[in-house]
Amino acid sequence: MLRRIFSLASGRIALVILAVIALLAIFGPLLAPHDPLATSTDLLAGPSGSHWLGTDNLGRDVFSRLLAGSRISVLGSLEVAAMALVVGAIPGIVSVYLGRAFEWLSLRLADTLVALPFLLFAVAVTALLGNGITQAMLVTGVLVSPMFYRVARAATMSVARSQYVEAALISGASLGWIVRRHVWVKVLPPIAVAFAQTIGVGFIVVSSLTFLGIGVQPPAPTWGGLLASDLGFLSYQPWAPFAPALLIMLTVWACNLLADAMRDVSGEAGRALINARKVRANQVAAGGSQ
Amino acid sequence: MVSDAFVPGRPVLLTRVRRTGGQVLVTLARSVAIFVPVFFVGTFVTFALRGLSGLSPARLQLGEDATPQAIHQIESAWGLDRPFLAQYWSWFTGVLHGDLGTSWSNGADIATLIGLGLGVSLSVAVLALIIGVLLGFALGTVAALRRTTWIDRAVTGFVTVVSTMPAFVVGIVLVEIFAVGLGWLPSAGYSPAEDGIGPWLAHIILPALALSFDIVADVARQLRTGLVSAYRENYVIGARVRGLSPRRIFWRHVLRNGLGPALATLGVRFPILIGQSVVAEWIFGLQGFGRFANDSAQTGDVPAVQGVLVVSVALVVTFNLIVNIVLGRVAPASRRGV
Repeated sequence: MLRRIFSLASGRIALVILAVIALLAIFGPLLAPHDPLATSTDLLAGPSGSHWLGTDNLGRDVFSRLLAGSRISVLGSLEVAAMALVVGAIPGIVSVYLGRAFEWLSLRLADTLVALPFLLFAVAVTALLGNGITQAMLVTGVLVSPMFYRVARAATMSVARSQYVEAALISGASLGWIVRRHVWVKVLPPIAVAFAQTIGVGFIVVSSLTFLGIGVQPPAPTWGGLLASDLGFLSYQPWAPFAPALLIMLTVWACNLLADAMRDVSGEAGRALINARKVRANQVAAGGSQ
Repeated sequence: MVSDAFVPGRPVLLTRVRRTGGQVLVTLARSVAIFVPVFFVGTFVTFALRGLSGLSPARLQLGEDATPQAIHQIESAWGLDRPFLAQYWSWFTGVLHGDLGTSWSNGADIATLIGLGLGVSLSVAVLALIIGVLLGFALGTVAALRRTTWIDRAVTGFVTVVSTMPAFVVGIVLVEIFAVGLGWLPSAGYSPAEDGIGPWLAHIILPALALSFDIVADVARQLRTGLVSAYRENYVIGARVRGLSPRRIFWRHVLRNGLGPALATLGVRFPILIGQSVVAEWIFGLQGFGRFANDSAQTGDVPAVQGVLVVSVALVVTFNLIVNIVLGRVAPASRRGV
């Protein structure tokens, strides 16, 4: 799967960007040249040798704050996706097998969650349940889980009605074995696509929440929080929001790109794509030898 | 005699009207059957928030060092010592009558408080929807009509970029360009429509634009896909063979069949639009209901938060009902699976 994604240009770009962001999240706080919380008298300074991206309204080094804030932003979006995966995908697969009552109930629940304005709920619930980024992300994860539910359910249904599964059932295979052996392989690619998309969505939600100052304690740096503090000083530093905004957009774009690339290389469409490439490669090879 | 058959007489017209009305009613009934449980579960989750949060009006009014007796007295005055389901029921019946309770922090009527902000939020949301639908429609149609040309690729690229921009990033960029840079529009605040349409529009156009980007991207993408696949259908080839004009083919055949996904995506987009109003109102200093939700959540005013959430769920449900009815009228095929 990974090698196939790498064979697409868009997949390569997405993976490289995401790898850089992941490295930022892991090593960013260590790499920061200054203490991200240390204030100085050098207020709202422009970019210079010691402050690559200038300083903010309290004289803190923006580049260091950007690096230090990367971990919370990235971890938060991963938490959203993981939570949504657990809450959404498992009931989605199970709903096909557990009978009509469970199916009806879980469908209605998914309808409801889709209808809730999730940013509003995330704001409300986080503020009420104690101001922590983890609470916020778990709530958001539950709210975006219907996407996984629907994807997993649709994929499972297509497998469950297929002839080879019926044949396996007739030959006496147990339900657990069928799920492990047949369903899982078919359901995994669409879930992986949904996972990549959800990380992108989660990233927007984390940045929005931290932008509003929800889920973090004030001096701690986050990408959204950086944007919020820049907003008050736009007339002094009109270029200040660009670095955090660009990072957020790049990450979201890479997630969407990865999701598209995964969709292109998996399933029937993926097989067709790989075959077409092989044919073309063979033609080129044949043309070259003549 | 022959021409008589083509003029719909009164009885024919009457049946047609009756049938259309019946179809609308059926769509309405089916949508209501879906959305009643949604509303019920939504309000239940909302109400359960208080129990989960463990917040109490006593803490808000008396501070941290209140005696247990004083806390108990206040809680029983608010009816919080009753069983959970009894509390839920009285709250829910209140909600159905439009009574959202009173605020813990200042005792004001929550429905009135939300009503103050709702005008602002709805102005922005409706304008965002209008901009999003118009722009998205134009872009999607152009891309579909000029498919596989550079125009199509340019539109698709633009849409991809737009869809990765979170609303608050767009908002900041817009403030930067139009308010700080050019000074054309105010960067914050609101002026009601009664004081003049010009200032009203000037105050809400930037937040509406910021919120509309996602809608533009979604509508354009879905409409392009829908139209392109509708153009591949046999009935379009048939219409072309019969010599119908391209304009007529587009409006009568392609558009009606390709519109479904784009309309359906509007229904899905609306809750996200409502949610993002929190951020947009924060950036643009609007006292809308998203701002109200944020402020009351930060102070721990649970009934106020519940009120906002219920209103938002009601808005979403109403909007989706309208979308379903329009969808049933425009693209009858969608009625099969709601």
